[in-house]
Amino acid sequence: MLLKVQNLHKIYKSGTHALKGVSFEVEEGEFLVVIGLSGSGKSTLLRCINRLIEPTSGLVEFNGKDITHINGEELRKVKMQIGMVFQQFNLIKRKSVLSNVISGKLGSLKTFESILEKYNDKVYNEAYRCLETVGISDKAKVRADALSGGQQQRVAIARSLMQNPKLLLADEPVASLDPATSNSVMQYFEKINKELGTTVICNLHFLSLVRRYATRVIALRAGEVIYEGSPRDIDENWFKTIYGEEAEEVEIR
Amino acid sequence: MSKQTAVEAQLKNLIEENKKREHKYGLYQAILLDIFFVFYSILVVQRAIYYKFFLDLRDLPFSWIQIIIVFFISVIAGTLWALTRTSLSCKLFGVAKDNKTTKWTIELFGWFLFDITFIAGWIVTKISIVSLFSPDGLKGAGRLFSALFHPQFGIFDDALFAMIETIYIALVATLISIPPTLIISFFTARNLMRENKVTFAIYYVLRIILNFIRSIEPLIWAIIFSVWVGIGPFAGMIALLVHTIASNAKLYSEAIESIESGPMEAISATGANKIQIVWHAVVPQIVLPFLSFTIYRWDINVRMATVIGLVGGGGIGTMLMQYQGLARWREVGLIILMIAFVVWIMDYISAKIREAIY
Ligand SMILES: Nc1ncnc2c1ncn2[C@@H]1O[C@H](COP(=O)(O)OP(=O)(O)O)[C@@H](O)[C@H]1O
Ligand SMILES: [Mg+2]
Repeated sequence: MLLKVQNLHKIYKSGTHALKGVSFEVEEGEFLVVIGLSGSGKSTLLRCINRLIEPTSGLVEFNGKDITHINGEELRKVKMQIGMVFQQFNLIKRKSVLSNVISGKLGSLKTFESILEKYNDKVYNEAYRCLETVGISDKAKVRADALSGGQQQRVAIARSLMQNPKLLLADEPVASLDPATSNSVMQYFEKINKELGTTVICNLHFLSLVRRYATRVIALRAGEVIYEGSPRDIDENWFKTIYGEEAEEVEIR
Repeated sequence: MSKQTAVEAQLKNLIEENKKREHKYGLYQAILLDIFFVFYSILVVQRAIYYKFFLDLRDLPFSWIQIIIVFFISVIAGTLWALTRTSLSCKLFGVAKDNKTTKWTIELFGWFLFDITFIAGWIVTKISIVSLFSPDGLKGAGRLFSALFHPQFGIFDDALFAMIETIYIALVATLISIPPTLIISFFTARNLMRENKVTFAIYYVLRIILNFIRSIEPLIWAIIFSVWVGIGPFAGMIALLVHTIASNAKLYSEAIESIESGPMEAISATGANKIQIVWHAVVPQIVLPFLSFTIYRWDINVRMATVIGLVGGGGIGTMLMQYQGLARWREVGLIILMIAFVVWIMDYISAKIREAIY
């Protein structure tokens, strides 16, 4: 088992109770998709897993190690093994695609070396390989903000691949992309999952994407898990429980 | 479901309590402000308007006893007034009753405050139309203006040299300011320092020190340093340097505070350490604003260096002061023209460079 989350609570300083006792487990090689309305706690959950934020109570166990409250050097070591892709790509806009990808490696580089930005050939080769995986190595020298949204997201994926992650988290990675681009970006996640064997946990909005890519689904509502199972078993009824009575399914192809 | 309603009820309670607390707090603030208003009004009317204007006293009588008596009257009157919830301060802090009395007092007292302040200001400034248009005064001004239009070019070489000195003083002050400003600005950026108590304390103390330094004008720093290191360009340069560091550290740190947090979060998620996060996610976002602020500051410093020269900070300002002392208005005219020209050129260049950067 790669990840175990048990009775996880997160209460923000503002008093928002964003996670209310979430529990689930993830096996190696899975493609787990988390769905739920906006505000249901999806982002909070991912941020607790790679410890960008600290859970209020409960347990997060990664690779057999309790990481719920670790910090400092120990936490950095864990973060290095977990990649993360964001909705807003979060690239350094003024820098080249290549140096953006290399920044995924910072954790294992010496501070001094990374400040001079003189890396050895091994690092460069690795960066190019990651770019090839997402099919964008011809753009290596281009400034990141000169790329389209879909291309930027692929660079962001390459950046997290640079970490050689055991686990890849994706927080609504296609929410700001158009439908066609969404599918092509999702296909890279699928490829990474199938070919590199990287475990993926991905927040998604659209059920059609969920059915197509997920091996398992968790649905959150108001900070609680209300569904866990196969994407095929989400029928009309479940859909309404998750998204509310008014909701109608939108197709993305 | 019951769990949820319990949480909601708790939240509602919290909000209610907060409102009450804010209300109480607001009333305290209103009382203090009303006391101040009353105190201020009595003093202004008594000292500026009555003593100075009506009695035309030159040396105003001063006694602590009187001040204390006025103060006690103000405390009582101000408190009572605020407690009626109809005063100006009550309105300002949002605790006033919403009725006609409030509206009236606010309007009346607001105008009263404004009027006595303006009248007192008029009296204190000794505004006098007579001297603005007196024949003697007009003649002097005419002499000066005509000198301005007939500048004496005999001192051009000296003036040019002094002007260059001024520009260099400004340039050196700006250049030397960059490294310390950079370092300080990271420690005074809220978003980088708020994480733990120690760094936040450093942030806080540094901010106070910088605010203090900045609130003292470069001119006054020049006076301090001309006593410290002796009159001359060096004193002027240090004065500018000190003020530049304090002002630009604030601008720089504001630039840091306004960066996107997404890239920082992304880099932090890869397991990078603090220094790497700052270098790879913060610095690329702020180099341009920093450059732009620095160039603009050079421009400002040229102007300030001129003024600082007036108190012995060297350069063209000092020269201006000397010729003014000798009442050699045609030389003064030349110097003023040169200053205007250089300031205009600097303004233009710095604007162009800043445009090109963005
Ligand atoms: N940094 C934060 N501080 C306070 N409240 C937050 C913060 N981030 C999210 N929340 C709140 O927590 C709840 C869950 O948010 P989030 O995890 O972002 O949901 P989702 O990603 O499913 O849209 C929301 O009510 C949101 O307002
Ligand atoms: Mg979210």
